[in-house]
Amino acid sequence: MVVKIRLARFGRSNSPFYNIVVTHARTARGSRPLEVLGTYDPVPKKDTYDPDSKPHKDIKLDVTRAKYWIGVGAQPTDTAHRILAMAGIMKPKVRQGTPVTPIRMAH
Amino acid sequence: MPPRLPTGCSAQLVNCLDRSSLCTTQRAATAAGRPSWPSPATQQSSAFSTTAPRDLTINQRRFWKWARKGLGKTLRSPKPGQTNYMPSGSNSSRADVPFPTNPAFRSSPVLSDEARERIWENVMKKGLPLKAVSARHGVDMRRVAAVIRLKELEKAWEAQGKPMAIPYSKAVLSMVPTHDCAPDSPPFEAINEMHVHSYTQQQIFLPTSESRHFTRADAAKAFGEKILPPEKKMWVPELLQLEKDIASGVGIQEARSRFLQATAKSELEMAEKHAKKDAIANEENVRVNTDRFQFRFEGISVDSSGKTGRHIRGVGWRYGVPHNDRKPGAVKIPTKVE
Repeated sequence: MVVKIRLARFGRSNSPFYNIVVTHARTARGSRPLEVLGTYDPVPKKDTYDPDSKPHKDIKLDVTRAKYWIGVGAQPTDTAHRILAMAGIMKPKVRQGTPVTPIRMAH
Repeated sequence: MPPRLPTGCSAQLVNCLDRSSLCTTQRAATAAGRPSWPSPATQQSSAFSTTAPRDLTINQRRFWKWARKGLGKTLRSPKPGQTNYMPSGSNSSRADVPFPTNPAFRSSPVLSDEARERIWENVMKKGLPLKAVSARHGVDMRRVAAVIRLKELEKAWEAQGKPMAIPYSKAVLSMVPTHDCAPDSPPFEAINEMHVHSYTQQQIFLPTSESRHFTRADAAKAFGEKILPPEKKMWVPELLQLEKDIASGVGIQEARSRFLQATAKSELEMAEKHAKKDAIANEENVRVNTDRFQFRFEGISVDSSGKTGRHIRGVGWRYGVPHNDRKPGAVKIPTKVE
């Protein structure tokens, strides 16, 4: 079976929180994974003492284990790929063509 | 929920304030022969009492007599540069006893603004090591560090043109005993006080050979593996060498310059240690900027979740364990503000 690196949603309603997990592809989202590589908190936060700063998102990641799993053929999902690319583990996926900005429709 | 004021109540309140109008309303009500129970409107207006204030109690009268004619009179005009504490009975007041019936309570002095400025200048302008400044003025290292942090903040605010409560600060400082850290003034506090570890409060029977030179370090080791001897635990251990130098006949100037060098060296070593630690942390904690957000990575170890994967220090949402906010009796009030 394919081993995937993907996000597993935890948290409460309207306050998502993700575990970055290594798991078999056909197992349920909330089931026990092979390994928890880290976490991803998608809620942007501001620094308390620096309110002008750019909002940040916190990611915890065990880079060594992530590299190992990639090395043995685990397949990251697109979202997990983006996170691993930011951490410098994967090559970022290049988009085909220039990104199109959505046109705002007039009411 | 408390009762709310009905709309249009402000107009009624205005009426109430006018005592004559209140009286006329009451008189009109009685004249009409209506029952004495007031209507809701009158009830609200009678919330303000017209009863004369109570006479002063005997203790209040005694207090005012004391304040106008007795010892309290002397407190009206405080002497500049001195505390204005209550005189203790028949004896003259002492400068550091604020509560006359509790002479055991002595108010300790605080650092005056000149003292804080002096400390800041010594560290930030003259570049003296913290330990040396602490030893020189007899101010605790942690207090020196705090003074510098706050002075830096003050100066930053000054540069930004933020308003500051200087009259308030002056008023408070004029009321408490202060210490100005002048070169000839006595030390502000004991700087080498150590925390007594509970491990060191026990009696230990430790057999050792007579020929053995049993030092403080050995004694510390006997109490526990991690217990430090006092010469390593003190805030400014370099002071020991200073005293030893002076005792062995080195000139005071020479001994002091050696002390300065030693403290500067220890500060440099500490700074390097911190820089190294920060460098490692920076390597692990990558920050990636995108258009809208900054992604902050923090290095972790998957082993922190233990063999079963359920250790409490494990990273991430734990499997098969109820979350803290579901546990009965768990305190959900945050205990710190980040």
